[in-house]
Amino acid sequence: MWNPVVILQSIVSGILMGGIFALFGVGFSLTWGVMKVINIAHAAFGILAAYVAYWGLTVFGIDPILSLAVSLPLLFCAGVLIHRFLVQPITRSRDVVVASMVLTFGLAIVLENLMLLAWSPDERLITTGYSSTSIFLGDIIIRISNLLAFVLSMVGIGAIYLFLYRTRTGKAVRATWQDPEGAALQGINLRRVSMITFGMAIASSGAGGVAMAYMYSFNPPAHNLWLIFLFLVVIVGGVGSILGSAVAGLIIGVIIGLSGAFFPMQWVNVLLFGLLMGILLIKPEGLFRK
Amino acid sequence: MSREFLKGIGVLVSIVCMVFVLVHGGPSMAAEKPLVIGGSLPLTGTFSATGKWVERGYQYWAEEINAKGGLLGRPVKLLIYDDKSDAKEAVSLAEKAITVDKVDLLLGGYPGTACTAVMPVAEKYKMVYVSMGGHMKSFSQGYTYSFGSPPLMGEWWYLGFFEWMKTVPAADRPKKAAVYTMNNPIGMALMDSLYKGCKDLGIEIVIDEKYNLPLTTADTMITKAKQMKADLLFANGMFPDGVMTLRACKALGYTPKAIVQGIGSVIPEWSKELGKDGDFIFSGTSWHHKLKYPGNDRINKVAKEKFNENEAPLYFGFGYAWMQTLEQAVQGAKSLDQTKIKDWLKTNEVKTIAGNFKFDDKGLPSPFVYLTQVIDGNVELIWPKDMRTHEPVYPKPAWK
Repeated sequence: MWNPVVILQSIVSGILMGGIFALFGVGFSLTWGVMKVINIAHAAFGILAAYVAYWGLTVFGIDPILSLAVSLPLLFCAGVLIHRFLVQPITRSRDVVVASMVLTFGLAIVLENLMLLAWSPDERLITTGYSSTSIFLGDIIIRISNLLAFVLSMVGIGAIYLFLYRTRTGKAVRATWQDPEGAALQGINLRRVSMITFGMAIASSGAGGVAMAYMYSFNPPAHNLWLIFLFLVVIVGGVGSILGSAVAGLIIGVIIGLSGAFFPMQWVNVLLFGLLMGILLIKPEGLFRK
Repeated sequence: MSREFLKGIGVLVSIVCMVFVLVHGGPSMAAEKPLVIGGSLPLTGTFSATGKWVERGYQYWAEEINAKGGLLGRPVKLLIYDDKSDAKEAVSLAEKAITVDKVDLLLGGYPGTACTAVMPVAEKYKMVYVSMGGHMKSFSQGYTYSFGSPPLMGEWWYLGFFEWMKTVPAADRPKKAAVYTMNNPIGMALMDSLYKGCKDLGIEIVIDEKYNLPLTTADTMITKAKQMKADLLFANGMFPDGVMTLRACKALGYTPKAIVQGIGSVIPEWSKELGKDGDFIFSGTSWHHKLKYPGNDRINKVAKEKFNENEAPLYFGFGYAWMQTLEQAVQGAKSLDQTKIKDWLKTNEVKTIAGNFKFDDKGLPSPFVYLTQVIDGNVELIWPKDMRTHEPVYPKPAWK
C-alpha cells in the first residue's frame, strides 16, 4: 500500500519494535561471541523476567520496568551460578558450541516446566495504565508502551556498551573475546570474565524479556518463538557485536514494518528471511563482525 | 503338635483361602477391571493452555461417571499422554494407545491439526473418535468412525454473526471489511462463511490479507485498515495475535463498527488480561456455558468449586461434551464393540451440554455456530436469539 501514512507509521513502529529485539539479542550475542556458548535458554530467562514483572504488576501494582530492580540482580546471580556449575564444566568439551546448545536446550526445558508449574500455561499480558495509550504526531502514532520499552532497550544496550568499553572488566571481556590466549597471558582471569559475561547476558535477557512482554503475550512455551528473534539479531548483526545487535534489531524491525506496508502480510517472513539468507551469503560473519 | 502337622494345616488353610478367592473374589475383580480410555492432548507446548482445560473436562467426566458406578458397570480410567502440541506425536501416541495399551476407547485430541492427523488412525483401527475434528476438510475424507460432537467448524464460524447482522437495519450495517487471517488451516477454514456472509450482505472486502504466525506486529495491519476506512474488522487469529491486533486498534485510534475475533476471545484469559479493552468483541463458538441444555449449570458449579472459575471455561465444556457423546454411544450400544458404537451414533441422537446432535455420513451435526460478544468481561450469547443472554452492543463504543 503506497500510502505515506502507512509507510511512515510502519517505519516508526518498526524502529520501536527493532530496538526491543536488539536489547533481547545483545546478551545472546555476547555469550556466543565471548564464550562460544549458544545459550538456547536465553529467551526462557526473558520469559522468567516477564513473569516476575507480571507478578509484580498484578499483585503489588509495581510498574514492570521497576520490577527489573529486583529481577536483574537475581538473574545476574543466576547467570553466575549457572556458569559456575553448568557451563564451565562443558568448556572442556571438544566442541563447546554444540555442547552448550545441548546443555542450554535442556536448561530451557527445565525452566519452561518450572514456569508451567508456577504460573500454568495460561497466556499472560502486561497491561498497565499506558498499555494502549499513544502520542499522536499528526497521523503518526507512537505507542507509549513500545516507546518505554524502546527507551529501556537503548538504556540497556548503552549500559552494556559502556561497561565493555569504559570499564576494566569490560575491556577484559573484549580482550577475551578477541584473543583468549593473549588475554590469559596478560593475567586476565578467563573464568571470572566468562562468569561476569554470562551473568550480564542473563540479566540483559531479563530486561529484553520485559520489553518483549510490552509487545507480546507470553506463556512458558513462548520462549521457543522468541528464540527466533535472537538468532535473527545475532546473525544479521554479527556474533558478539553490541553495535551490530543494536543496528540489526532496528533493521529487522523496519523491514518487518515496511514489508507489511508494501506487500501483503504473508510476505513479511519471506522478505525477512530472504534478507537474512542474503546477508549470510554476502557477509557470513554478520554486518558488524570484524 | 509336630512341625509337620502345623505345616500341613498351613498348606490346607492357604488352599482354602485360594479357592475362596477364586470362587468369590474372581468375578468381582473382573468386574472391577477398569475400562481404559486413552489418547493424547497437548499438555505442554503451544496449545497446552487449552489442552489442559480439555484434560480437566475429561477428568471431571471420569469422576462423575465413576461416582455413578462407571461405564457398562466398569470404573473408567483415563490414559492421557502429552503430545507436546505436536500433531505427529499425537499420531504416534494414538497408535500406542490402540496397539500397545489396547485401550477400550479412544480419546479425542486437540487442536484441529492433531485431530485431523489422528482421524485416519482411528479409521485404520476402526476406533470411534469423538473430537472437535479439523474443520470440514477432515470430515470430508470418507471416515466413518470420526464424529464432531460438537465440532469446531471454521467453515461455519461466522454463520451466527451474519445471521444476526441480517437483523441490523441495512443502513447501520458495516460497508467495508478488513480481513486479516492467520496463514494456517484453521485460519483458512474461517473464510468460507466470511466470504459468503459479506457477499450476501453486500459488505465490500477492502483488505484481505494472510499473515504467518507468530505475528510480529499488528500496527501496520491496523494502519492499513484505518486508511481504507474499513468499518468491520475480522481478526482471524488466535489469542496472541488477537490481543496484539486489538491493542493496535486502541493505540492507533481505530474503532470500526464491529471487531470479530476468530479464536481466543471466548477463553477467560481474554478479559482477564485485556480488561475493558477486551469488551465488545464478537466471535463464534460451538459451546457456551450459558446454553440452556441440561448439565451446563452443573459444570459451571464444578468450574467454580474446583478451579475457582466464574463459569466453565470453553474447552472444559468441550472436553466434557465429547465424553458425554462417547458415554451415550457406549451405553446405547451396550458394548465396547467399536462398530456397534459407531452404528449407534450414526442412527441415534446424543444429548450434550452443547446441544442435541444427529450425525450425517461425515460424522457431523447440522451446521450451527453460536455468536458471542464479550460484554463487561463476560462472554455473552447473542445468536440464535432464543439463546441470547445479553443484548448485543453495536456499533462498538469508542475506546476509553
